Amino acid sequence: MSRAPGRVWLRQLASLVAFLALWEGASRGGLLNPLYIPAPSAVAAALVELFGSGAIWPHLAATFSAAIGGLVLGLVVGTVLGILAALLPFVAELIEPFMILLNAVPRVVLAPLFVIWFGIDLGSKIALAFILVAVLIFFTVFTGIRQVDRRLVERVVTLGGGRGALLREVYLPSLVAWILGQLKVAVGFAFTGAVVGEFVAASRGLGYLLSFAQSTYNAALMLALVLLIVAFVLLIFALAGRLERRLLRWRG
Amino acid sequence: MLRVQGLSLAYDETTPVLEEASLAIDAGRFVSLVGPSGSGKSSLLRAVMGLQQPMAGRIDSDVGAREIGMLFQDDALLPWRSAADNVALGLRLRGDSRRHALAQAAEWLARLGLTGLGDRYPRALSGGQRKRVALAQVLALKPRLLLMDEPFASLDAITRARVTQDLLALVESEHMTVLLVTHDLEEALALSDVIYLLSHGPRARISERYDVPIPRPRDVVAARTHPAFAPLLAALWRDLSREVAGDAAAA
Repeated sequence: MSRAPGRVWLRQLASLVAFLALWEGASRGGLLNPLYIPAPSAVAAALVELFGSGAIWPHLAATFSAAIGGLVLGLVVGTVLGILAALLPFVAELIEPFMILLNAVPRVVLAPLFVIWFGIDLGSKIALAFILVAVLIFFTVFTGIRQVDRRLVERVVTLGGGRGALLREVYLPSLVAWILGQLKVAVGFAFTGAVVGEFVAASRGLGYLLSFAQSTYNAALMLALVLLIVAFVLLIFALAGRLERRLLRWRG
Repeated sequence: MLRVQGLSLAYDETTPVLEEASLAIDAGRFVSLVGPSGSGKSSLLRAVMGLQQPMAGRIDSDVGAREIGMLFQDDALLPWRSAADNVALGLRLRGDSRRHALAQAAEWLARLGLTGLGDRYPRALSGGQRKRVALAQVLALKPRLLLMDEPFASLDAITRARVTQDLLALVESEHMTVLLVTHDLEEALALSDVIYLLSHGPRARISERYDVPIPRPRDVVAARTHPAFAPLLAALWRDLSREVAGDAAAA
């Protein structure tokens, strides 16, 4: 009973600081080869350099444009196709096998193909982020609509509701719940698509910088970039979590 | 008010579960359907509501589709709407303004003992409270005919008795006509003016009709001590047991 739950974050912070101090000490003491594992101070210096020189901004802008663009397009197209396939059997027959195939393969293998199709600029990155998100959202919506609670449908019908009321009162709120439930996964997918796309071929972006750092054996820069990507994805997760809590208050 | 003649119903297109059922319900009466499982009680209710097409026969009534309210076995409230919005839903679907519908909803929630709970989402309500919200949702539309399919089966005995009593008081004060499907013979007797017994299905028929001479207004607990109660219950048990035995013989 001596452990106050409010202190958990304090202990976690203390252990993190201890870990970094140990790492730093081991580096300075010559126990770690800085070529492979640079000291935390070197990683911090690389981060400061990236932001201080302003060199990071065009890369951040490129990666964010690709990820957000692919995310939005994927959400819209996945939702529309999911609804169409759920409501019109011939659409389902047409696109379901295609989607199952796309779902089965690791979709990042399409990256080189997209570079040939859409060039080394933003287009190919958006396309990769898009295909990752769209397939996920398609299955979320497609299976969701077919599993909508029949009792709710009958309830609204017996209260005098028509098709419009069913859509507004039952289908749309269900849809929002399913999509929001997958939003965090979709955000992760969008960034994966953008960064992997840049890694394959690009002239800008965090993935391009990573590839550059690798080719120059700059481990400090690589760690700094990984840290940066993690930080931004966590930030977007937090935003998505707030949106989820706000729109799905009824789940309690 | 409602006249069902020669009604046959089937789950699929082949064997009727209920065959040539005829019954009449006068305005202001509380009528129950009891019978073994699979005798088509729920199907009959759904056919009256227009959710199921009959194979044969006719249903005549002088109540419009909008004057019929239906309460299901499981309380399917919209989980993303508050209790008040759920109650207001039917009114809004009929063109009421949101403000007027919510005022009505607050009134009905109060009549069912849910004052102050209008802002809660269904998840934050107990089973009994959810059932009361579902009841308020249906009653707010002021139905002339109320159809109920084992509405209180999921509630514990005490909650069930209390909700049932509140419902009965409202039915009596609003002069509603009720058609109730139940497995519970004592509940049927305590509430009803007329009870129809269905035989075992498939091809179930209406095998008996009982008049319950207990005066109104009633108390669901006190009604069980009325002198007519015990003999009617015995008769119902005897006849139902015979139907279930027939069921076993058929199986």
